[in-house]
Amino acid sequence: MTRWVVGALLAVALGAGAGPALAAPQTPAEAAGEKVIPLERYTTPKGQALARVHQQRLQRYAEQVWGCLPWLDLQKQSIGFQRPKGVPGDDRYFSTWILIPQAENKQFSALPQSRRMSAMFSRYGVDMMRRMADVHDVLADSNVHGFSVVLSWLKPGTSRPGVQPVNESVAAFIDKATGLDYLERRIPHAEFARRIRVVGFDGQTDLGPQTLDIWDDDFAATFKLPNYEPPAGISC
Amino acid sequence: MTRTQIFRAAVVLGVLAVTGGCATSEEWAEWKAHSTHFASDQHMGFSMRNNKDGSNPKVTRRDMESSPRENWWGKVITVRPDQIFEN
Repeated sequence: MTRWVVGALLAVALGAGAGPALAAPQTPAEAAGEKVIPLERYTTPKGQALARVHQQRLQRYAEQVWGCLPWLDLQKQSIGFQRPKGVPGDDRYFSTWILIPQAENKQFSALPQSRRMSAMFSRYGVDMMRRMADVHDVLADSNVHGFSVVLSWLKPGTSRPGVQPVNESVAAFIDKATGLDYLERRIPHAEFARRIRVVGFDGQTDLGPQTLDIWDDDFAATFKLPNYEPPAGISC
Repeated sequence: MTRTQIFRAAVVLGVLAVTGGCATSEEWAEWKAHSTHFASDQHMGFSMRNNKDGSNPKVTRRDMESSPRENWWGKVITVRPDQIFEN
C-alpha cells in the first residue's frame, strides 16, 4: 500500500515537474528565449564577445522566424555564433537550425538521399540565409565569418507506426562573401554549391561532405498559411 | 568505332540525360506545387476548418505549437549539435 502511495506521489511530482518543461512557448519572447544560445555556452572569447554584443538582436531575429514561419520549428539553443566541429581556428558563423515537418510524400521518398538534401537546402536553406542577411548589424560585424544553416526533416519511411523515426539533416557553412554574392545573384548556383561546406547526417550517422545541387525555390518566401495571424508585435 | 557508332552512342546518352532530367523536374514540380508536406494533416487542418457561420477562424502560432508535433519531434533520432558544432 505504502509502495502504491509513494509511486502515486512520485508520478504526480514527476508530472508536475515535466509539465512546465514540456510546455510550448506562448509568446515570441518565450520562444526566442529557448532558441537562442545562452551566453554561458560559449567557450571562447570571440564567441562570448559576439554573443554579448548581438544577443538582443538574435532574440528579435528568433522571434521573427518563429512568428512568421509557423509550420516550422527552431532547434532549441541553435541561434547564435557557432564554429564548425573539427575546423582549426575560431571562425564564427551566424547560425540557425530549423526542423521541417516533412510528411510522407511519394515524390520526395522516391528521390535519392542526396537529392532530398539538395531540395531541402534549395527550399529552406537559401531562405534562411536571406533572413539572416537581413540582420544587417550582425552580418556587418567583422568577427562574423559567415552563415551556418542546419535543416532536419523526417527521413521517408520512418514515420510509420512501429518504425523508429529518424531525421535526415544537412549542415551548411557559407563564408560571408560567398553567401552575399549568391544572394545578390553575382555567382550562379553551381559555383555557390562548389564554394560552400556541407555535411549530411542520417539520424546520428555522419554521411560526410556533400555536394548539393541547388536551384531556385521560392516556397518558403512566398507560402502563407491560410488565416494565420502572426503573434502580437511580429509583422511578416 | 566508326563515326556512325559514335554518333548513335552520343544520341542514346543524350536522350538518357534529357529524359532523366525531365523526370526529376516533373517530380519536383509536383512536390513544389503541393504544400501538403506538413507533418500532420492537423497542421493544415487548422486553416481548413470553418466556423458555423462560414467564417474562417484565425490560426495562431499557439495552435501550431499545441499540435502533436512536439511529441513527434521528441521521439526522433536526430544528429546531436556536438556532431556539427563546437561552442
